[in-house]
Amino acid sequence: MHVHPNPHFARKYSQQGGKSRPTKEDNVRKTIAAGVVAGFALAAGLVMPAQAISATTADLYVFHGIPDTPVDVWVNGEVKVPDFQPGTFAGPLDLPAGDYEVVLTAPDAPVTDPALGPVTLTLEAGKSYTAAAFLDADGMGTAKLFTNDVATTNAGEGRLTVRHTAAAPAVDILANGAVAFSNVVNGAEGTTALPVGTISAAVAATGTTEPVLGPADVAIKDGVLTIAYAWGSLDGETNNLKLAAQEITVGHTNPGGVPSGTAGYAAERDAMTQAFWIVGIAALLAAASVGGVLTSRRMRATKLDS
Amino acid sequence: MTRRLIAPLVLVLALSACAPVPAPSGAGAPSASPTPTPVPTSTVDVPIVDGALQPARASLPPVRVRIDAAGVDMEVVPVGVESSGFMELPPDPAIAGWYRFGPDPWSPDGNTVIAAHIDAPDYPIGPFANLRDLPADAEITVAAADGSTAAYGVATVTYYPKQELPTEALFAREGTRALVLITCGGDFDETTGHYDDNVVVVATPRA
Repeated sequence: MHVHPNPHFARKYSQQGGKSRPTKEDNVRKTIAAGVVAGFALAAGLVMPAQAISATTADLYVFHGIPDTPVDVWVNGEVKVPDFQPGTFAGPLDLPAGDYEVVLTAPDAPVTDPALGPVTLTLEAGKSYTAAAFLDADGMGTAKLFTNDVATTNAGEGRLTVRHTAAAPAVDILANGAVAFSNVVNGAEGTTALPVGTISAAVAATGTTEPVLGPADVAIKDGVLTIAYAWGSLDGETNNLKLAAQEITVGHTNPGGVPSGTAGYAAERDAMTQAFWIVGIAALLAAASVGGVLTSRRMRATKLDS
Repeated sequence: MTRRLIAPLVLVLALSACAPVPAPSGAGAPSASPTPTPVPTSTVDVPIVDGALQPARASLPPVRVRIDAAGVDMEVVPVGVESSGFMELPPDPAIAGWYRFGPDPWSPDGNTVIAAHIDAPDYPIGPFANLRDLPADAEITVAAADGSTAAYGVATVTYYPKQELPTEALFAREGTRALVLITCGGDFDETTGHYDDNVVVVATPRA
């Protein structure tokens, strides 16, 4: 994601396409160019990276998927996310690699009175994680550390991860009406690359196509990991199954180059123009010298006459 | 020597003069006492994002680019990448391609990239052949099908050897909005059938 523009990339030519000495105008342009490249670097530097992963740290997001129960999120004995609401994401927390003890409590409750946990999360350097608190298939609160695939996407593609974090049986996940992930059980996930655009996503009981959730429009963006969570409960009385989505900018692939000329006509024209001028100037010089000779001869003739 | 030293000193004094003048005491204003900046507490403000699905901003493709100073008034079509990984371009040099996977001129951030062939077999030389002669601050306007327009001023015209095209910076998704026009230039290599260089115009939005 970091940009390292090198102003020395710029090679200057004269306007006729030849490799003659840089003109004054060229130098001015070069200076402006360096300024703008520096501008790019500055702009890039000001942008907060979507991920702060480093060689020694990990990114940790937290997803709250337990309906109707706001919590405080404690990490190693400290409240990191107070009054964390269901259906929301927190993060990223940029944490040094290592083990972290996470506890969820009712808001303002002491850490010694956990609603969930403590659980130990082992974070590796250079990775992105989402710790999710959600209902298991039987409707009991549970937690799981998911690893996010933050590899750079191919040009024109985004990445979709789906996670089953709902009190519901195995499901099929449909994209534009077709099964994209089949037989996904609670706590399981699937990931695929998709062309950029909007897909209509739906969740149906395995082997069926009648949605129990959705269809909903999910944006697939170039260079972005979109993680969709089915959360809540499909339980008859409290059917509050919902979809939540998290977006992580993972980095895109730029075109390898811009091959924008394949005939050479413009180069030919330049060469012709140059040749025209050379021939033209030579002709003028020749004419001038011939004229000069004639003049002097005439003058001599005049002298002789007189 | 002594005299030369005076100028920087004066400058320093002038700069200090720019510091805010302390409010006269007893003016009833809350005392802006020079307390040290509070030491950051261990509490981290963790960004919170609602998980509800957000409708994505639909991109607004530019359909026309116009540069009076270069006699350019061209149709623009959306393009992607070829299987080779290179940017796709309309075969006709009279039509420019907008890199549709990146920002458009109305995106909040990043560079809009529009490229066209300088020439191609069996077509006349394209209008982008004139890009190399653009003066600084020449006006470029880009229009969308819905009538939206965006105006830019030329900041730089640069030749890059093709292998050294700084794609990361030119195709940036983040940072200040800019318009990047790319075509070819320099010497034509008959053996490869390609030009040695890319000619790149970077233009910044008009205020």
